[in-house]
Formats: sequence, C-alpha cells, structure tokens
Amino acid sequence: MKNKLKTVKPPKIAPYSKAHERYLKKLRNDKIFVISFQVVILFTFIGLWELLTATKVIDPFFVSSPSRVFNMFISLVEDGTIWRHIGITLLETIVGFAIATLGGTLIAILLWWNKRLRRILEPYIVVLNSLPKIALGPIIILWVGSGMSAIITMCVLICIVLTTISMLNAFNSCDADKIQLMKSMHANKFQIFWKLILPNATDEFISVLKINVGMSWVGTIMGEYLSSSAGLGYLIVYGSQIFKIDLVMTSTVLLCLLAALMYLAICLIQKWHSR
Amino acid sequence: MSAMLEFKDVNFFYQTKAAEIHALKDLNFTVEEQSFASIVGPSGCGKTTILSLIAGLLKKSSGRILLNGKEIEENDWRIGYMFQRDHLFEWRTIWQNVILGIELNKPKDADKKKEFAQQLLKKYDLYDFISSKPRSLSGGMRQRVALIRTLVMEPALLLLDEPFSALDFQTRLKVCDDVYEIIKSEQKTAVLVTHDISEAISMSDKIIVLSSRPATVKHVQMLNLNGETPLSRREDPTFGALFDLIWKKLTNEKQTQNS
Repeated sequence: MKNKLKTVKPPKIAPYSKAHERYLKKLRNDKIFVISFQVVILFTFIGLWELLTATKVIDPFFVSSPSRVFNMFISLVEDGTIWRHIGITLLETIVGFAIATLGGTLIAILLWWNKRLRRILEPYIVVLNSLPKIALGPIIILWVGSGMSAIITMCVLICIVLTTISMLNAFNSCDADKIQLMKSMHANKFQIFWKLILPNATDEFISVLKINVGMSWVGTIMGEYLSSSAGLGYLIVYGSQIFKIDLVMTSTVLLCLLAALMYLAICLIQKWHSR
Repeated sequence: MSAMLEFKDVNFFYQTKAAEIHALKDLNFTVEEQSFASIVGPSGCGKTTILSLIAGLLKKSSGRILLNGKEIEENDWRIGYMFQRDHLFEWRTIWQNVILGIELNKPKDADKKKEFAQQLLKKYDLYDFISSKPRSLSGGMRQRVALIRTLVMEPALLLLDEPFSALDFQTRLKVCDDVYEIIKSEQKTAVLVTHDISEAISMSDKIIVLSSRPATVKHVQMLNLNGETPLSRREDPTFGALFDLIWKKLTNEKQTQNS
C-alpha cells in the first residue's frame, strides 16, 4: 500500500440551524466589538495627544506630538537615512533572535539528552538567568568589540537562557507513559526525541518565540544604547542627547510597529501549525 | 492448548532512596496460546510491573519469563503493549498514529503491514477518519485506534494495562466488546491487568489473583462462560458466583494486608 491516502473529511459535527446561525452571528459581533474598541482606544490616545500638545496643555518639547512624529518620519524618509537605521536594527534583532532561539533550543536538547550534565549545569543556569545582562555590557564590548557584534551578543545573552530553561521544561514535561509507549514500540532515544519529545514541545516553542520577539528587541536596543553608530536605539539616544524628542518618539513608534509585525509573523506561524 | 507465556519463579526488586522493595516474589503462572488471561490484585501489588517485565521495559531480578518456550528478548516484536490511556499523538493524523510502529522499526514487510492497518481501520469503522486528528474522535474510537496501532505490528501476545479505565461505563462496555472481538478475530493471546472484577470475568479464560506486595499468585480461576461477547457473558448464570469468589479472594487479601 502506498503511503498517500485519499483525504476523507470527517462528517460535520454541528447541524446547521437558525440557533447555530444566531450563535455564529453573536461570535462575529463580539469580535467586531473587541476590534472596534481597540481602534477607538488607539485613535483616542493619538487624538488626545495631538489636542493636548496643540493647545499647549502639555509641552510638545517634552512629549512631541503625533503630527510632529509624522513630519519627522516624512523628513527621515525623504533624506533616506531611516531605512538604514531600520535595516540595521532589524538585522541585529533577527540575527540575535535566531541565534538565541536556535542556540537555546540546542542547549536544552543537550541537557535533556544528558541528565547528569543537566544536574551539573543547573545552578549555573539559574545564576545566569537571574543575572541582569546589562551588567555584562562593558565586558561584552571588551570581548567582541563595539558595534553590531556587541549588540547581537547582548541580544543573544538576554534571550538564550530563558529559551534554554523554557524548552528544557517543555521537554521534561512530556508524559512519562508516552515515553514508555515509545519504548514498548522499541524506539531508540533519538526516535523518542524526534517523534515525541520535540513535536510535543511545539506549543511551548511557539510561546518561547513570542517571548523572544519582545526580549530580542530589548536586547538589541540595550546593545545600541551601549555601543552603536546606527540603528533605532542609536537614534533614540542621539535624539535625547540633543533634546530632539520628535526623533526619539518617531524611533519609538517605529520600534513598536516592527515588534508588532514580528509578533504577528509568529502568530501566523502558530495559526498555520494549529491547523 | 500449549502455554505461550510462562512465569517461572520470577522475582523483581526495585530500588528507592529509602529502601529496596520486593515487588514480585517467586511468581509462577502460564498463559495459553490464543487465550485471554486477566491479572487482578490489590492496588500497588505490581500488576503493571508484570506487564512491564513481559514487554522488556523492566528487567527481572531472577527467574525466567518464557514466550513460546524461549526467554523473552529485548525489543521483542511478538509483544504488543496497550496502555491505560490511548496516548495518541495529537499532532499526528489517525493514519500517522496507526503506522507509528512501522515508522519506528521500518520492517521489511512495511507495505504489507500498512495494508493490514488499512484493513483494520476499515473493518472497525475508522477508515473515514484516517486524515483527522485524534481530537475529533470519541474516547471509544481513540481506544480502538490505539489497539489497531498495537496490532499493526502483528504481535502474538497483547498486553492490556487497564485500557478501559479512562472511559465512562457505557463506552467501556461497548469498547470492551469491540476490543474483545478484535483480539479474538485476530487470534491473539492477551493478558489484561484490571481492577474491575466484572471486566476480568466477562473477558477472560483465566483469572490470576495476586496477593499484596510482594506479589505472589494467590489463586488461579479458569473460566468457561457462555456468550460470544463480554457483554453477553455477563448474563451467564455463574457470573455472580464467580464475582463473589474473586471478590472474596481479593477482600481476604485486603484484610490480611490491613492486619
């Protein structure tokens, strides 16, 4: 028999009726309500911000304003510098994110594979996790030099320990009876890992990706604060040094948008996976 | 019928930080070919340990465990194990779950085994769900899939570790009938571990009653009830008397354990 089998859809579970239609409509309306409120909150915030700064209730010198942010963005687009800064920060974040996620998962695999090694390294991992990574900033610059390599290292350091701990917990939380089932089917350790432990940890892996999206941005911006000559973090530091709050706010808004886009990409992966 | 499975003076000790525990003591019993044997005993007496020893998941401390007269080997494909819960992998389709054993061991006759899997799925009304994920199946259907997953590798001896205990009573009776029918029609030998005396009587040709830890064989009851299915065998006039007998053996055991 060939491996490929004809796809047969399971029978429809819920019968279609007026009540079912009402239920679906209620779900739709609920979704529309939630999204509408989210949009209202955003526009109210922007509107109030603009209004309060335009009427000088709050000083735009300290908080900028949406119109100033927009104008700053346009001027940065026109002189073309913004793309370089976005590109550099994005590259640092994505590289840091990828190295930390992959490296952390590989370390977790190694620790799952070798229980004794895990027991030996456990206290060091705990200490590394609780260590404020920013404290390592000067040492990082000394070791890997300033610039992009230091920023990526900072990003990796912030994400990797958390990834290792989360993935190791996910591997260890696999049902012992399922492992016994695999053993009863004469699976070797690699097969147990590949066919059971790893796919069983997929949900946790996606959670780690989501956490790492946020953490990698933190790492990159922290790295750029410490040592950089380009990037959105650099623009924020530069803007604050010369009291150009419009530049600080524009960079911050861009950071929010980029982080949200990256998070959205992970959500899409999750949606594709759970199908 | 000749003995397919033989336990000869089997002892098993397991180690904990606090002590060494003698779990099975000089255990002797046989299970005949194509028969259905049940093991009952007080909680924690070592029933599942017996199955783990047969499946090669644990190593006996002493004695002999023979399958068709030969010592059981590690990775013995003549043995199939069905657990308390179905343990279907939720990320795999029903078909992928069923052929898991084939994927893991890549037998030479993989195509033949896949064909057999397909036949079983058709025969037991699961073929329409081959592309579905386990979550879309009822508890009873899932348990049938788990049994087919075990049967696909064509084991001669099936080990059933309380496979119905996670099901509600009605489903349990139905699945019990289904599983019994599958085992009988595929001419398998089965060893069932259960807490449920009715279930043991309705399915078995032989019941082995164990003592509390360290487990020894306290009583062996041969059965020959009328009826084609476990449900119909419950209507046999001797069913009640047999239940009382096994119950007394077990309660005596509990009293001894308490005193």
